[in-house]
Amino acid sequence: MAGIRRRSLFAAGAAALGAPALLTGCGKSGNAKELTFWNFYAPNPNPGDPTLAAQSKWFEDMVAGWNRENETKIRLQYVTILGTPKLATAFAADEGPDIFLISPGDILRYYNAGVLTDLTPYLTKEAIDDFSRPNMDTRLVGDRVYALPMEIEPLAMFYSKRVMESVGVTGDSDLPTTWDEMLGLGEKLKREKKPPIVFCAAPGYYQNFTWYPWMWQGGGNAVSADGRHSGFDSKGAVDALNLYKQTIQRGIAPRVEPANADGALALMQGYAAAYHTGIWSVAEFRHRKPDFPYGVFAPPTPPGGTPKTVLGGWAFVANARGRDPETAAKFCTWAIGSMSQDSIDRVVDWCTKAKADIAPRKSALDKGTRDGGYDNEIMRKFKDEIFPTGRGEPRYPPVVYKAISDAIQACQLTGADPRQQAELASKQIDAYLKSYEGGRIL
Amino acid sequence: MTAVAQAPAGTSSARTGRRPASRRRRETVAAMLFLAPDMLGLLVFLGIPMVACLVLGFFQVDGFGGYQWIGLGNYERMFADPLFLHSLRTTLLYLVILIPGLFVVSLALALLVRQRFPLVGLVRSMLFAPNVVSLVVVALVWKFMLTDQIGVIDRVLGFFGVTPPSWLGTPHWALASVLVVTIWFAMGYYMLIFLAGLQDIPREYYEVAKLDGAGPWQTFRHITWPLLKPTSFFILLTSTVSMMTGGLDLLYVLTSGGPANSTTLIIYYIYQQAFVYGEFGYASAIGAFLVVILLIWSAALFALTRGGRFSDGDK
Repeated sequence: MAGIRRRSLFAAGAAALGAPALLTGCGKSGNAKELTFWNFYAPNPNPGDPTLAAQSKWFEDMVAGWNRENETKIRLQYVTILGTPKLATAFAADEGPDIFLISPGDILRYYNAGVLTDLTPYLTKEAIDDFSRPNMDTRLVGDRVYALPMEIEPLAMFYSKRVMESVGVTGDSDLPTTWDEMLGLGEKLKREKKPPIVFCAAPGYYQNFTWYPWMWQGGGNAVSADGRHSGFDSKGAVDALNLYKQTIQRGIAPRVEPANADGALALMQGYAAAYHTGIWSVAEFRHRKPDFPYGVFAPPTPPGGTPKTVLGGWAFVANARGRDPETAAKFCTWAIGSMSQDSIDRVVDWCTKAKADIAPRKSALDKGTRDGGYDNEIMRKFKDEIFPTGRGEPRYPPVVYKAISDAIQACQLTGADPRQQAELASKQIDAYLKSYEGGRIL
Repeated sequence: MTAVAQAPAGTSSARTGRRPASRRRRETVAAMLFLAPDMLGLLVFLGIPMVACLVLGFFQVDGFGGYQWIGLGNYERMFADPLFLHSLRTTLLYLVILIPGLFVVSLALALLVRQRFPLVGLVRSMLFAPNVVSLVVVALVWKFMLTDQIGVIDRVLGFFGVTPPSWLGTPHWALASVLVVTIWFAMGYYMLIFLAGLQDIPREYYEVAKLDGAGPWQTFRHITWPLLKPTSFFILLTSTVSMMTGGLDLLYVLTSGGPANSTTLIIYYIYQQAFVYGEFGYASAIGAFLVVILLIWSAALFALTRGGRFSDGDK
């Protein structure tokens, strides 16, 4: 009996201890001739969605093109949202994908951990120079390239022409160009019981992303130019915090975004008169309701301020700890970073056909313009008026992001004093930067 | 085992000449084999992660395979972290309202559906129904219903001339909304447990009380409540543990911990630290701290109620 118990316990213990090793060993021991590419477009999980179908096809065609010509194959793996638990868990278990999409906000964390492959050796100088610099800055560390942007997504104010016309905003000259005019328009909409102007209100990286341009317009910055000190305790930041506070206190914007924070849907369904959202909404309108009358205007500016917007967009990166970082890097550059016509055309197709974005490469933007990709009034406005005022999405570490997020939330939704909140966040940022070591914070 | 000891001559073991001990051994092996999958599952998915969590709490973990021993560093950081302390206070407030609220609502519903009335089975099923739906779906449905101005709740209130607050956009209302949704979701489950406890109380007690002229309150006070104490103990213990360690999906979808951290309960803070900021070591330390709190609560509850018997007379 005792013998059996000992043997059984030994077997059970061995199995229990061995199981995690087996589980964590599954991924890496796979076929080295196949690299995984985590993305949130393909294989298409929802063939009924016309927007996603076009985008998914672009990914599948691209990968099929590579797989035809190369021994090491790429396998697309759909994941819901990158930059969140799935990716974090995968890397924590040393099972990160070979290639994945990354947003600027995450780049520094992955770079500092040594996860990103330096793509510079695989790019020609001409190709590096071809990427638009204001947008490219947050993908570089020094002069080394660690991520290749596939798109540029500026933010602007989208509006419903029908709702605006109902309150007397009938032409471009009636649209607000200053914060005061925007707040005045919001109050007019409220008085006449029309849908509101919507700004992001949910806490998170995305809210910070949408809020930064309001701060930049007044000359504010979260971090000083050398990246070593906080720049948050500034008039620009205080004014931008106060703007968000005013939109709520004056009843101009809702505390919770309608239509599950889908800007295009909220406008189409009449839940918003104007929505602060990104260029990606153009594709939503195109695929869902092409006849819907909507317009776009540049984010209004504060007194004495300069027009600014933020340039979002995802980028290809190769995992330096993956099964074959060199091939992964070669794939990224082949796909969207080489000077070959195929590579340029791929970027044009993604930004003007599959989606509606600003092409991140000068050659692709020129070709897209020549091919009529920006002939549409909205896209032309984005390309000629809004994109030139853009600044790349910052790559702030989590502590900096959280300090700013708490300040925005406190002012916007609890009516806290913007000056005090800016001071508080600034102290937190300074405390963190004192011991920070890693890539430059931009 | 008793059957083996009392087995008459001529049974199979006697015929084959095997000793009863051999059968006991076979039964032991069989029992272990039956238990093994469950034990293995518990060990792999509960035991090892718990130990790993405890150990990770002493390391700084960068989320990319880097581990640095920092001793009690994470625990020192915890008590100097205003957001952690805020989440702890919020969680305590949440539990202080939730647990009694859930207890009372579940008990009231159990008392209601214990009665015999037409379609009582359907009513019981409907009350339990939220439990069979994913909490993510529950959160999404409530999020749509509670959306400012266009949600169904605001529309109904607006019809009656009431100007509602922003249920999910105002700090104290957001926490209240999370409480209501949680109670709505969980009440059916605890109602069933109470119902089982109520049905264990012999009907004769109520009949005698009725003959003695006891009213509904007296019946509840002197029969139902005392005989329901073990069930109440079980519900207090399990609901506190599950409400403190669960509900992440609800918070994630419904409020994302906002507005202004007002619904950042400790479990959501752990999630943020681990998966949003990549602070796995710090998150593990908070997780270990949470386990300690729950152990203290459970031990206190056991001690105060004498293991759910409340007094030596309650067997």
